Amino acid sequence: MRLSRQSSTSASRRTFLKTAAAGAAASLVGVPRGHAAAKSLTLLHESSFIKNYDAYFAKTLAPAYEKLTGVKVNYELASVGSLQTRVTTIAETGRGADLTLNFFNWPFLYDEKYLDVSDIAEAVGKQQGGWYDAAKEAVVVNGKWKAIPFGNTGQLMNWRTDWFKEVGFEKFPDTWDELLEAGTKLKAKGHPFGFELGHGFGDNHGWIYPLLWSYGGHEVEPDGKTIVLDSDETARAVDFARKFFQQTMLEDVLGWTDVSNNKAWLSEQISCTNNAESILYVAKRDFPEIGKVTDQAMNPKGPKGRFHLLNSWSHSIFTSTPDHEAAKAFLRWLCDKPQLSAWYASAETYYQPFLHGYDDAPMWKVEPRNLPYRDALATAHLPGWPAPVSRAQSEVIAKYVVIDMFAKACAGASTKDVIASAVTQLKQIYGQG
Amino acid sequence: MATATSTAVAVARRPPALGDAIGRWLDREAVFSWLMMALPLVFLFALVGYPFVYGVWLSLEDRPVAQPGVFVGLGNFIADAHDPVFWQVARNTFIYTGVATVLKMVGGLALALVINQSFRAKNLVRAALLLPFIVPTVLSTVAWMWILDPAFSVLNWILVHAGMARPGPSWLGNPSLAMASIIVINTWRGLPFYAITILAGLQTIPLDLYEAATIDGAGSWARFRHITLPLLKPVILIVTVFSIIFTFADFQLVYVLTHGGPANATQLFATYAFDIAMTGGQLGRGASVALAMLPILGLMIIALTAYMRRRE
Repeated sequence: MRLSRQSSTSASRRTFLKTAAAGAAASLVGVPRGHAAAKSLTLLHESSFIKNYDAYFAKTLAPAYEKLTGVKVNYELASVGSLQTRVTTIAETGRGADLTLNFFNWPFLYDEKYLDVSDIAEAVGKQQGGWYDAAKEAVVVNGKWKAIPFGNTGQLMNWRTDWFKEVGFEKFPDTWDELLEAGTKLKAKGHPFGFELGHGFGDNHGWIYPLLWSYGGHEVEPDGKTIVLDSDETARAVDFARKFFQQTMLEDVLGWTDVSNNKAWLSEQISCTNNAESILYVAKRDFPEIGKVTDQAMNPKGPKGRFHLLNSWSHSIFTSTPDHEAAKAFLRWLCDKPQLSAWYASAETYYQPFLHGYDDAPMWKVEPRNLPYRDALATAHLPGWPAPVSRAQSEVIAKYVVIDMFAKACAGASTKDVIASAVTQLKQIYGQG
Repeated sequence: MATATSTAVAVARRPPALGDAIGRWLDREAVFSWLMMALPLVFLFALVGYPFVYGVWLSLEDRPVAQPGVFVGLGNFIADAHDPVFWQVARNTFIYTGVATVLKMVGGLALALVINQSFRAKNLVRAALLLPFIVPTVLSTVAWMWILDPAFSVLNWILVHAGMARPGPSWLGNPSLAMASIIVINTWRGLPFYAITILAGLQTIPLDLYEAATIDGAGSWARFRHITLPLLKPVILIVTVFSIIFTFADFQLVYVLTHGGPANATQLFATYAFDIAMTGGQLGRGASVALAMLPILGLMIIALTAYMRRRE
């Protein structure tokens, strides 16, 4: 009996060890890639705010390409805010999707892991009216197009027409000073402004950088080395921002992230903010009464002009993709006018095309209140402009150096101190500290 | 024919000598126990050891994302030391970890003592206590986002309607209140871990010790001080060490709620390292921020362990 039990135990131990060894070996060898070259491609995207946009690709564009070429296109969606982590993983490991969506300056960050797609960009530009200059700012690296620009999710002024009218403004104020005047009156009537000054992704950059530029301030010269943030122009922009915050806004904006102003708008707490088209889109869909009194306008002018944030979307091909030509063929097809125009239209004008051929496209007639987003493209720049895109500049954005300079001033710190602190950070980041 | 068949069966039944030897070798407890541990050790190395060593290596390199690194020795740590935000982040992390750990320790002990008593629906209360710990942090943080929202905050509604504030405080817009808010949320989330672990420790204390002490005239405070606390010390030590490590490396709560704002008032090592490494594309610098406090944290844990052992 004892022998029998021992034998049974031994057998089960050996079986267990064999199974475990086989499992470990399988995991070390790895599962082969799910698709063979040229049989399928995977495009990595972030979940769009406009559901119809993702659905159009998955249900119309991808099947159409498969029918045409036999190549299946997988549309892989990352949750909002997680795309960059995914792109970094693919760039680092060389495994994963074949193509990806980019934001901001990613074509520069991942430059060496992206294919040169200049030939596609030139052909698409020639076919569809030519590219906006802003488009090139985010995708052309050392003279090569490392991505095909898709569209801009512009950040503009959203304002309540009814409340502005109550304080004597039939149109949106043309300058920052006029906006301050309107905001002061509106806050006194219980309708404050709400401009994000916290650590979000876009709504803070959307007005802070344009404000700084419109006063003539910037961080670094176009040579990419000379730090010029400590200037009278910057000081005037910071002074204005402090006054603007104190006289027009809620204190809470200092801690806001990107969802905060949307919530505040739809709960009728604020009369003006800086945002993408999403506020009007949701208001019309879910709060039609608010939608009727919501309008959008370009950013106000400062002493040195009017500026906007470039929030670029573009598409790149990873060098790790097994079949470069298959991936390029797909991207070329996707950017061909019939496909591209239909994909744009599926999102109304949430992604403003970087091609002049769409300046008068029917999509702009769906909601005329969105037209300022088109017009803003001519004066849109990446954070850090006019310096060329660089790794140091990416670090400045990641550390919220400029945003926090303004936020600290709004919270009460002196202009001199906040600029000095930001300059110290810039020097350290640019290796001059 | 029959002889030939029986010979063939006998040959077939006889196990090969090598296989038999391996089988006997595997049956030895010392061998088998190591083999059983081999797979977990491989996983431990692959999932903990390798990333840790890789992180240390990254922190010694100038390593832009998607590019080869250049060894810079302690260059990244020196750059961190010259970064004013780094020191603000260090201060924030210590305040956050220190205050939240003390609150969790005191609160967890108190809660454990209460739920260790006999009362109706005791098991239901104990199960309910675990809820904050079970709910995914991202979800519970979103709920807290609403609780702290200036327009919809239930706290502000109470304060305003009680005439104590008008308007309600800006919980996440004011730097001090923002830090206090994330400490409270971390405490709320971590309290069950303390309470349940200490409760388990409480239930291992023999009742006859309390009976003997009561006969000797010890009051409830004396019983707590001279019996409960000394016997709970090992449990408190372990749960505190774990809590310090988890709190120090906290990421989700801050990332979802404030993303380190306003103006870095709630920025912690984990969120700052993530921003530098991912958004900024500086993997080496990000790794150095994440690892900068490792020696201090290690020393703190060693000191705490030594202190508790000495007191025993």
